[in-house]
Amino acid sequence: MGQPQEKTQPHPRREPRYDGPLTVERLEEIFAGCVDFTRRPVALEGESACTLTLCYLGGMVRMERVSDYVLRPLAEDGGLRRCATLAAAMDRMEAGALYNLGVARRTRLDRGVFDLVDGWCLLFFPGERDVLSFFVGTEEKRGVAPPDSETVLKGARDGFVESVRTNTSIVRRHLKAPELRIVEELVGRQSVTAVDVLYLEGLTDPALVEALVDRLRTIDIDGVFATGNIEEYIVPAAHTPFPLVQYTQRSDRFCAGLAEGRVGLLIDGIPLGYLTPAVLGNFLQAPQDKSSAWLLATTLTLLRYACMLMTLFLPALYVAMITFHQEMIPTRLALSIIAAKQDVPFRSGFEVIVLLLAFEILQEAGLRLPQSIGQTVSIIGGLVVGSAAVEAKIVSPAVLIVVAAAGIAGYTMPSQEFSGALRLWRLLLALLASVAGLFGAVAGAAALIIHLAGLESFGVPYLTPFAVSAGREAREHVFLRRPLPQIKDRPPALHPRNRRKQR
Amino acid sequence: MRGPALFLPAALLLLLLSGCGSLSLTGLLPYAREIEDMELVRTLGVDGDGTGVAVTASGGAREGEETSLTTGRAETVSAAVLAMQSQGSSYLYFGHVGQLLLGEELARRGVEEPLDYVLRDVEMRLETALYLVRDGTAGQAMGAAAEDGSAADRLEALAEGVGLTADTMTRSVKEVLADLEDRGASFAPALLPDGTLTAAGYGILKDGALAGWTGEEAALGVNLILSRVDADVVEVTPPGQPSAALRVVGARSLVRPVFEGGTLTGLRVECRVEANLAEGPPGQEAAWRQALCDALARVEQTRIQAALDLARTLNADYLGLCRSAALLTPWHKAALLDGTQLEELTLTAQVEAVLQRSYHADG
Repeated sequence: MGQPQEKTQPHPRREPRYDGPLTVERLEEIFAGCVDFTRRPVALEGESACTLTLCYLGGMVRMERVSDYVLRPLAEDGGLRRCATLAAAMDRMEAGALYNLGVARRTRLDRGVFDLVDGWCLLFFPGERDVLSFFVGTEEKRGVAPPDSETVLKGARDGFVESVRTNTSIVRRHLKAPELRIVEELVGRQSVTAVDVLYLEGLTDPALVEALVDRLRTIDIDGVFATGNIEEYIVPAAHTPFPLVQYTQRSDRFCAGLAEGRVGLLIDGIPLGYLTPAVLGNFLQAPQDKSSAWLLATTLTLLRYACMLMTLFLPALYVAMITFHQEMIPTRLALSIIAAKQDVPFRSGFEVIVLLLAFEILQEAGLRLPQSIGQTVSIIGGLVVGSAAVEAKIVSPAVLIVVAAAGIAGYTMPSQEFSGALRLWRLLLALLASVAGLFGAVAGAAALIIHLAGLESFGVPYLTPFAVSAGREAREHVFLRRPLPQIKDRPPALHPRNRRKQR
Repeated sequence: MRGPALFLPAALLLLLLSGCGSLSLTGLLPYAREIEDMELVRTLGVDGDGTGVAVTASGGAREGEETSLTTGRAETVSAAVLAMQSQGSSYLYFGHVGQLLLGEELARRGVEEPLDYVLRDVEMRLETALYLVRDGTAGQAMGAAAEDGSAADRLEALAEGVGLTADTMTRSVKEVLADLEDRGASFAPALLPDGTLTAAGYGILKDGALAGWTGEEAALGVNLILSRVDADVVEVTPPGQPSAALRVVGARSLVRPVFEGGTLTGLRVECRVEANLAEGPPGQEAAWRQALCDALARVEQTRIQAALDLARTLNADYLGLCRSAALLTPWHKAALLDGTQLEELTLTAQVEAVLQRSYHADG
């Protein structure tokens, strides 16, 4: 028997991370062993002649800016030469003798260290406590491009990129209202990632904004390297596979959400925008719904709901009917199924569950491989292996059809996360149906409804407006789409400060 | 989350500790049986000669397979069915029985036992169509039909063809049971035990047993009284006029009570028959058309009267005449439904025929 492992202590946090005066020596100590840390002496001529020290991190700064905006004026500016003291020279540099747009006076070591990491350079003056910090950062980033994860048929093609500042600029171009607020929080002790909260002042419920910002402030993690690093901390994602935050790569969709009264979230390094709160209906709406004719959009939305039920319940219903409730099957269909299953050695429940798992494996294999190979795997797995298995009487064709139909119905879901949650529940329902037939499937469905009814996204019930009264026009926002000129109000469940959205 | 997670096992434990044997899991959950291990029974025949019951089951025939017939004999229907189960490796499943055939001898002794079996069995459905085999047994009829396909296919074709012909209408076990319970009489379609299971009118059930058969005319009269005529071709020849073929496309009947001095003395069936001119010389006058209507009305009146006479002779309200009259005149409900004997009443028919249109271009 080994010693019981003790729980680790809470994450020790040191504020500030680096204490003490901001000096070149301390910087060298902190960045010891860092090949990109550069220290360069710069001679200042004139009445206050001395040697200044310029520090920066190679790769994080743009060299032309350092040369043209910092070094050249230091060597050539006549006014600087005439400054009697270093303090006067420093004041002049801060006032504009050096051409940088961003300049700040730093005294704290902690701040200076993070300036270096962010692409600033620090200019040390001998004998002076203050240090001048200039922004000379590089702006290498991917260009704005159409979103690759969401097909755009009719709509803006400026998808989000990895740079949060570029993304906020895209949003500003779409939403020119000065009321657009962008609040920034830094998350992650190692990554120190900028997370921006966007909302429209005077429209969005302030309580919603406050709740989101509060939750961001409580996050104390190493870094934000994946979407879950933020998502799982701001919503109770541990209790459900269903997504409680909606994400999009489309800037127009993101801005439409903000204008609706929702709160947006942009994370530096992640080319996605998040919208909260998100309810079940949001995950069944496709971005092009508002670009299509209202009748078509409504029909397609209803079709998606039907597909949701189909992908959830079809395998379970098949197992229940084949194993327990044969009287539910039309006689001729029952005769066909009996003929097809005659030499298949496995029980129906086992067949369905194994095929559902095989379907997931095939899908996972297709996703992990390069696109061209992925397609080949899908074709081999789906067509060749499937038909061979049927011919070899390993599985019955009816089961193959049921699992394939359920899988294809699942692909109509606009949200991959939502589709994934449905796939998990589909497997669970099939298991329950193989144990207790329709009783099991109905019990599973009841458990699913109870589970969904217990979920909330920032105080908004997940089943709004189906299980919660949310106003007269609530269903139009998630279920039916009337002609847009007739939808006068914003979703009441979001408690917008300004309910009316058009004349 | 911890609360419900603990609550469910605790509730299950309490349920098992309650001591109620019927609440065990095996009792609560449905019984699983794979469909490929089953033989679907589509037609069930029951015969009886007073010493026992013979049950014949006709399995579902797939393409290229012969119809399998299984017979079991025992004292009761349930025991005969159990005897059948032990004959093959497959489980005989009765959830898809669509037709129940009763032999004439069994029907004359009483139909209550097989109908009660359908009522109580968990697999059988009350929607099962009921047929009586005239001049033979159910086993004979199913055996003859099996040689040329299957009884189920033949009877399904017969049932689907009802809308196109005027042979017989289908009657479910539920309808017959309800009629017998309500008025002590009912009727069910009759078949001949030949290879094609030819329709042979209706068998009239009274007090739970077969009381008689309708002839062809009376069977058509039954259809007219119950307003269930979808298609019937009648050839009529008005006096001194050219003959024509009329396609009867609809009938609407109502039963009106006849009172004399406050006493119920009879029932009158008033029927409006709608027909189209199917074949006949074109360009005839209106008088000829009227003559055709009159001739059709006479034909249909004869048919209805035949059905009514049978009801009076057998003193069996198998058509529900009294209840129909009570629905029309609810203020006479007591007089019509409290022990009314049809043999004491005068049953008459009054028919109006209407020629709606012709198939000729001149309309």
